Amino acid sequence: MNSLELINVRKAYGKTPVLDDISLALEPREFVAFLGPSGSGKSTLLRIIAGLETADAGEVRLDGRRIDQLPPGDRGVAMVFQHYALYPHMTVRGNMAFGLKNAHVPPAEIAARVAEAARILEIEAHLDKRPGQLSGGQRQRVAIGRAIVKHPRLFLLDEPLSNLDAALRMRTRLELADLRQRVDAAFVMVTHDQAEAMTLADRIVVMNDRRIQQVGAPMEIYLRPANSFVARFVGSPAMNLLPVEPVANGALVRVRLGDGAEVETRVALNGFGGGTLELGLRPENVEVTAPGGGTTDAKVELVERLGERTLVYAKLRSGDEITGEDEGNSRVRVGDVVGLRIKGERAHLFDAQGVGHHAEAGA
Amino acid sequence: MNRDRMPPLALVLTLVGAAAMVAPLVWTVLLSLKSNAELLQDTGAAFRGPYTLENYGAILKGDMVFRWLLNSLIVSLGTTAGVLALSSLAGFAFARLDFPFRRTLFVFVLLGLAIPEQAVILPQHRLFAWLGLHNSYPGLILPGLVGSFGVFFMTQYFRGLPRDLDEAAALDGASTFQIFARVLLPLTVPAQATLGVFTFLGSWNAYWWPLISATTSDRFTLTVGLASAQANYAQTNGLGYLMAQAVFASLPILIVYVLFQRQIVNAIGGAVK
Amino acid sequence: MRTARWQGLAYVAPFLILYAALLIFPLLMGMGLSFYRADLFGAKVWTGLGNYGRLLSDPVFLHALRNTFKLVLLIVPTLTALTLALAVALNRRTRGAAVLRGVFFSSSVLSVTIVTLIWRFVLTPDAGLFAEVAQALGREPLPWLSHPDLTIPALALTTIWWSIGLPMMLFLAGLQQIPSDMYEAAALDRSSRWTTFRRITLPQLRRTLLLVVMLQTAAQLQLFGQAQLLTAGGPSGASRPVVLFIFEVAFVRWELGYALAAAEILFTLVLLATLAQYWAARPREDAR
Repeated sequence: MNSLELINVRKAYGKTPVLDDISLALEPREFVAFLGPSGSGKSTLLRIIAGLETADAGEVRLDGRRIDQLPPGDRGVAMVFQHYALYPHMTVRGNMAFGLKNAHVPPAEIAARVAEAARILEIEAHLDKRPGQLSGGQRQRVAIGRAIVKHPRLFLLDEPLSNLDAALRMRTRLELADLRQRVDAAFVMVTHDQAEAMTLADRIVVMNDRRIQQVGAPMEIYLRPANSFVARFVGSPAMNLLPVEPVANGALVRVRLGDGAEVETRVALNGFGGGTLELGLRPENVEVTAPGGGTTDAKVELVERLGERTLVYAKLRSGDEITGEDEGNSRVRVGDVVGLRIKGERAHLFDAQGVGHHAEAGA
Repeated sequence: MNRDRMPPLALVLTLVGAAAMVAPLVWTVLLSLKSNAELLQDTGAAFRGPYTLENYGAILKGDMVFRWLLNSLIVSLGTTAGVLALSSLAGFAFARLDFPFRRTLFVFVLLGLAIPEQAVILPQHRLFAWLGLHNSYPGLILPGLVGSFGVFFMTQYFRGLPRDLDEAAALDGASTFQIFARVLLPLTVPAQATLGVFTFLGSWNAYWWPLISATTSDRFTLTVGLASAQANYAQTNGLGYLMAQAVFASLPILIVYVLFQRQIVNAIGGAVK
Repeated sequence: MRTARWQGLAYVAPFLILYAALLIFPLLMGMGLSFYRADLFGAKVWTGLGNYGRLLSDPVFLHALRNTFKLVLLIVPTLTALTLALAVALNRRTRGAAVLRGVFFSSSVLSVTIVTLIWRFVLTPDAGLFAEVAQALGREPLPWLSHPDLTIPALALTTIWWSIGLPMMLFLAGLQQIPSDMYEAAALDRSSRWTTFRRITLPQLRRTLLLVVMLQTAAQLQLFGQAQLLTAGGPSGASRPVVLFIFEVAFVRWELGYALAAAEILFTLVLLATLAQYWAARPREDAR
């Protein structure tokens, strides 16, 4: 049986549609991340699942039970808010117990659940403090604790790490990963941070422009982006997308770049309706070499030294911008002309509709 | 330039002004400390001893002032409690709930800010006569509950509270009333204090309505009672006694002022933003 | 949120019912009754605009109207200038300034009865503080509460003493909002105190200034208790403001309809004053 199930969910604010026919099903205990830019509808979708907004059409089911008609408190979901939303006038204990009291859980049971959550999150020493007396990281733990004690069937996390500094973010990420091992519940996390999504989620739902663009395991999204939006949005630095012309001379597509250089891909020819094509190349598949030593040459515009590797932003003679990678101690400088060796076997092609075509599996 | 130092001329003028503010008060206190017989001869005696507490003693021995004080307390506290309750409920709804005609009703309520007392007090008087509410506590309290300011003020305050809290509470299974009473209301305490102090001050010092509504002396509030006393002070127990009444009657409000000075200053500051 | 849409009405109903019944209904009832010859006990005869016509030719009403305007013109500008100066002088973080602010505000918490009680025995020529001072200086005490030329200034003086606190606090709050770097920049530009006040403080206080003038105009148009208690409007109407006229017509002469017509005229004046100042306070292109 599915855990969370969304069936043809639609939502508009007045005449502005924000979600267009969203369907999705989660496995039991699955961790799914909604990844997308702001305005993509991902937060609205989370709020519809929580019951904070009402869908115009469609169904929301949890463990087979239809929940979209239920008030938020009766849905068996718990939410961790971006800004924590702790009740400032209640103690940490009071914050965690509030929902349970409303559900008329017996006091002894409440005490036990709060104690257990406090132990897991290591906030036992702070139970009688108020949120205002806690640090940001501690507040985050209380917010998670408030969700845990409810023993929900589904955790909803709204940008849970965005308010934390880098060190704390890393630590909380590990703790979230740990939490999901402990509890028998599914997770939905909204984020615009792909690293968060890649490391935590079993599957990523990439959203843009009111729709789901792709659903898949992190590496699948990375290696086989369904369309040019996903290709550009996932991966840092972004995938190169170069306008190319097909030079059809075999079962696999061969394309010509703007500057005339040709790249042999492993993408099958069948299935193209013609029209323009874009060649998708991750920077790690564009290797910087000596001038004339690669597929083509380019002029360096910007060099970004990351330590273990160097990113080289360059321009082809045709004016197309392309990002390549060099080793950590690269000697390349701005203004140099370098050669680029393009690994055609790792290239993607995107047709006029933006649909992605990838190298044959095992090819 | 040190902005905390006052130029000498300004300092002198300010101190003269302060003296002018204080002089009538000191004069009042001095008069209250003199025997009535001596004042009858010459009020200038107030500048000289001997001073006595006999006027205050006379008040404490039993006086309508106590009754009026009690009435004022009941009316002011009743009005304050009523305004806080009504304004909080309505403010929460206007800020947070979606209901039919919400915007229209809010504009309707805002109109009340432009209605001065004198435009409604005569018909109110007639209405309360019909209802048989004159010379009663409800009669004194009810007109104080209809001001729009409290609703406007609380609506603004509720709007300023983060919506996350309502949503977290909804996910915690709280009903709308629980969200209001358990989650948001405790966070409005600063606003309640400000609104409460102002309502209390206004009600305590209200004059016109109690003057025409309370006509028997056992229902007088302090303001009306003292007005009746000063209108015929020649027949009362004398000037010193009258001034002792004034000082005595000012004490509660001065205590409120000293205790809540911060709320008062903050509230006035908020009005300018 | 998923709540019954009508539920919100239950929260606003308690206030709205009282508001409609005890404020809006009386307001409309008053407007209606102003077209009747009606007494305080219920008898009424339609007169159309008769009450209004009578008012405009009633020398007592016109005198009261003049008195009210005199009071407004005496009190509002004086009070505004005085409280602005005080606020500028006391806008300091010292302990002394805080105490003085408290002193100037303290009179505002007193009720009109106590204020008039105090001032009666400051002003009255036979037992007042002013009389004592005059005698000490070898002068005749002035009959503040009984001379037709002195009663209105006496009321103005009392009112200013009583009302000084609130506008001062409003100005102080306005001053607090002027960013201090503007003053620092002015100081670097070698601006004198007076120039700084005129070119920086005053323009920045424009909104507060209008608020103070508006509030005070509306308040003093409705001046009542001081006149009733200190001078009873006398001598022979020399210090009777409009609200006292309304009060006397209603509760001494029991002519409710006539009193209400006067009240509607005053209401219109208060509204006009308020609107005029909103109009003056509207955001302007050249304000920035």
